[in-house]
Amino acid sequence: MDERTSGLELLQHTDTVNELLARYGVKFGIYKNQVFREQLFPFDAIPRVIECGEFAFLERGLKQRVLALNLFLKDIYSKKQIVKDGIVPEDFIFASSGYMAECEGVTPVKGIYSHISGIDLVKGKDGVWYILEDNLRVPSGASYPMIAREFCRRSSPNTFHDNHLEDNRNYAALLRHTMDYVNTGGHTVILTPGRYNAAYFEHSYLAEKTGAHLANGSELMVEDDKLYYVAVDGRRERVGAVYRRISDEYLDPMNFNPESLIGIPHIYDVFRKGNVALINAPGNGVADDKGIYYFVPKMIKYYLDEEPILPNAPTYLPFYEEDMQYVLAHFDELVLKDVAEAGGYGVVFGRSMSKTQKEDFIALLQKEPRRFIAQEIIDFQDLDILEEGSVIPRKADLRAFVLMAEEPVVWKSGLTRFSRNPDSFIVNSSQGGGFKDTWVLSQ
Amino acid sequence: MKRLHFDYFMKIDYSEAVSLCHFTIKCFPQNTLRQRVEGVSVALTPAVPYSIGTDSFGNRQIYGRDDILHHTFSFRITGKVRTGLSIWEEGANEDQTAIYRHPHGLNQAGEELRAYHAEIGKEMPESDYEKSLFLMHRLYQDFGYEKGVTDMHTTAEEAWRLGKGVCQDYAHIFIALLHMEGIPARYVTGMLIGEGASHAWVEVLHQGFWYGLDPTNDSLVEESYIKIGVGREASDCLINRGIMHGGGTQTQTIEVIVNEEKTEK
Repeated sequence: MDERTSGLELLQHTDTVNELLARYGVKFGIYKNQVFREQLFPFDAIPRVIECGEFAFLERGLKQRVLALNLFLKDIYSKKQIVKDGIVPEDFIFASSGYMAECEGVTPVKGIYSHISGIDLVKGKDGVWYILEDNLRVPSGASYPMIAREFCRRSSPNTFHDNHLEDNRNYAALLRHTMDYVNTGGHTVILTPGRYNAAYFEHSYLAEKTGAHLANGSELMVEDDKLYYVAVDGRRERVGAVYRRISDEYLDPMNFNPESLIGIPHIYDVFRKGNVALINAPGNGVADDKGIYYFVPKMIKYYLDEEPILPNAPTYLPFYEEDMQYVLAHFDELVLKDVAEAGGYGVVFGRSMSKTQKEDFIALLQKEPRRFIAQEIIDFQDLDILEEGSVIPRKADLRAFVLMAEEPVVWKSGLTRFSRNPDSFIVNSSQGGGFKDTWVLSQ
Repeated sequence: MKRLHFDYFMKIDYSEAVSLCHFTIKCFPQNTLRQRVEGVSVALTPAVPYSIGTDSFGNRQIYGRDDILHHTFSFRITGKVRTGLSIWEEGANEDQTAIYRHPHGLNQAGEELRAYHAEIGKEMPESDYEKSLFLMHRLYQDFGYEKGVTDMHTTAEEAWRLGKGVCQDYAHIFIALLHMEGIPARYVTGMLIGEGASHAWVEVLHQGFWYGLDPTNDSLVEESYIKIGVGREASDCLINRGIMHGGGTQTQTIEVIVNEEKTEK
């Protein structure tokens, strides 16, 4: 174990913290085989520690990436200059399930598309941080390290007195500022699909911490091109910003999926007129698609005229013949991802397929090359976790949160998730992992 | 050149009262190089206030909510349009042509439609415009008109497999075939003299201009057509879209009348 963390008094309080988390309902729900199940998100008390200088480097790279992604979204839904200039092939835009033609020509308040970005990184054994994935739709997870830190402070105040680390309790203030910055006048609302959502705990927690109203779709209504919150006594109050935790297609049954019962009819028309801010803007999926990921370093060069600070994991697009040849020749060394899937699904390792599985997969790959990306398997650093009293190494990633107002700000913490399965490289809370606090040292 | 008078009436009768509904109506002919709108009027029942806007495909729309208890919802849009001012509909906005080059939703081809395209592809002429005419003629010959076999959710491939359908299906199949030739194509809603209902056809892009082609009638879009809306496929430009609370079973009536104003001649 890391010498900085081995002696922590905090470690004796793991059970207390987990009990507190359970008592406060810090859970996430998952649907598996059509059954909704809520489960605890196990907390491991050994923090991930990131040095001050190392984090400053990550910060620069993350800000750069989020700036470029926002510029890309603005470009795609207007001039599409990056496509005309041949940097991103048209197919990757229009065949992406995240691209929404309904958003063409609509400029969000202050031109911001991705107000809250969750960027997933891993640190390789070579010491290099790689970007694994961008999440620009409704990235969740910030509440877990927030509340875990709160409980850790409560059960072991000395730990925080003795170590110089950045306070992560400012997330609520950062989020509030991000929402206020684009508010068009009126209340700020966090829109939740309800308690049967995987991240309902987070919705209610963030509402409490930021002082925003927590509302569901039936409490909001559109009239005369404005959005209103309808109070229990029937009074209507204007809403100027909605941090919506509902995916694009369910947001507005009059503009998107007509079957949606959790959305607000005509909210997108209000947005189109500039009378409400939607956080994040609809249509962002075109920029965080696994196929588009390949092009993000090129976007950074194109829009910012800078070299990317943080590299992608080496990625191949079978869409390009040269890459297809490489993928076929190195099949067993690569991980293949279906661009349409999320949450750790649709990810397969070449080496773990049987002969027939491999043949079937290659046939599919050749038939639908745009549907897949292939990546080198990064041998990422293990982090120690405590399990039944002993310390064992497990794979872990980091979701960093970047909030965009006047300029991007990186939250000095993050969600470190680990895989509980020793053989798994897939670190995702939907697949039953746990989490850690992320300490950013202040000196 | 003609001056056409149109009257588009849509009514939904509900077996039980509706307490709240939301509606979007995209039934407004637009000014293009081929047609000029000379006045439009709107009547909604129940008479509720509405907002006016433009969607991302450039269609004019009115929308709103209706919380007056009602058993019938209807709208009537009437107006005059001068048509046949040009043979093409309009010049293409370059930033917005790309979305019409790619398959989407209901205009997607599957194996059988691809096989048909490969089969007729041997006789394909040279220019995009001639290719479009050729594909329209072939589709008109090889696909049959029949009401009630398809619905508003039928894809190009499904309709092709059935071998018959209505104007919406002709348009989706035609768009799928055009896309396979790499020709940008879009879905158009509109009205036609003598049709009695709304109509749908296709616009193809050729040398920077959109041309209207009507595969259901194997015809060029000329002065007896009034264009309303455009989109990649039917769902982008539905003439009316609504959701309601209550209502029970519903019966929809659509009456469309397009007349030529004789006084003009």
